[in-house]
Amino acid sequence: MTQPRPFGGGPVMMFADDRSRRSFLKWAGLLGVGATLAAAGARSRFASAQGDEGDIGILNYALTLEYLEEDFYGRGADSGLLTGRAGELVAAIRDHETEHIAAIESTISDLGGSPVKKPKFSYPQGVFKDKQAWLETALDFSQLGVMAYHGQVQRIQSPELLGAAASIAGVESRHAAIIARLSGRNPFPAPIEQSASKSRVLKTVQPFVSG
Amino acid sequence: MNRRSFLKSSVAALPLASAAAAQPAWAQGADFKNDVDVLNFALIAEYFLSAFYREGSPMLSSKEGRYVSDIGADEDAHIAAITATVQDLGGTPTMAPAIDYGDVFNDRQRYLRFALRFENLFGGAYLGAAGQISNKEILQAAAGIYGTEERHAAVIADLLQEPVEGGVFNGALTQGADKRTVLRALRPFVKNPQTTTVEAAVTL
Repeated sequence: MTQPRPFGGGPVMMFADDRSRRSFLKWAGLLGVGATLAAAGARSRFASAQGDEGDIGILNYALTLEYLEEDFYGRGADSGLLTGRAGELVAAIRDHETEHIAAIESTISDLGGSPVKKPKFSYPQGVFKDKQAWLETALDFSQLGVMAYHGQVQRIQSPELLGAAASIAGVESRHAAIIARLSGRNPFPAPIEQSASKSRVLKTVQPFVSG
Repeated sequence: MNRRSFLKSSVAALPLASAAAAQPAWAQGADFKNDVDVLNFALIAEYFLSAFYREGSPMLSSKEGRYVSDIGADEDAHIAAITATVQDLGGTPTMAPAIDYGDVFNDRQRYLRFALRFENLFGGAYLGAAGQISNKEILQAAAGIYGTEERHAAVIADLLQEPVEGGVFNGALTQGADKRTVLRALRPFVKNPQTTTVEAAVTL
């Protein structure tokens, strides 16, 4: 099938399906570096790599991704592509994203910020008419969502928000695993969740934002 | 850094914040002395998981067998990484206790249910302990491990055809588990509870 693959060749797919690509050394190395830096009292290399917008900026970033996921899963759930248990699983995932949106929006307001509005999204033609194409796109989005949350772990200031974001991220991991399973991909692509920077994530989703 | 004073400056009445505060161990500083202590606690949990998957399994389909073997490999990788990190921090990794799971390995349903219970519990344990990790690189790694335990739980629950909500998923937010709850759940499977670190940890 030559369905247009939104993230085809992009870094998101690197670990979406191929267990053999998981490299123990690669991620164990990450831990090792962290521990060594910690011992030396050095600051995280992540901290200086990105601009600092504070917790409200991070929450609005998370909100944008939750909008995208809710929109895509919602349209998938309404498309009738997925029936039976698969349909039930996707509907539950959509409902979680709806709850994440509500919680993040009210938190931004309570912090004195303004929640970003939901953008208009557009997707590759035919993706809601082809079950496998939908599932693989959903897998890309869900993996990206997980990586996005993990990319902010070191940047969130408030411990409470960090706890809340972590409790959302765990649910996003469950979503990614279940969507991988539904699409016949490997639900356990790596022994530790990977992370992605905000700039990389936004660059990846930019083609889907139409206004 | 003084955690309590840091907490004072944070906002407590937010929907997200209160969801986090509802988790037993989050924002309580008493469970762990330092990051090495948290890591050694995580190591105990990983020993229990690894031992479970290493012990062998009942008859499973080939796909289930592959999942279980991948999950077991994840737990072994966690042990290796946590051990190395404890050493890098100048700590002493906790020794693996002697573990006895009894006859849980004879029956597919029982086996998978047991695995599901442990994966749920240990995913929650990472979340519960995360608030007490002060080093951000270690927090990053712990969060990454936590995510994979959540993946394991979801897939095992799906293999068991557990309900979508209250099985594969447990709502839109993961709940944390505190140290005492986790250790209490482990205690029945420790061979010599009086002499192990698990028991020592329980009585802290």
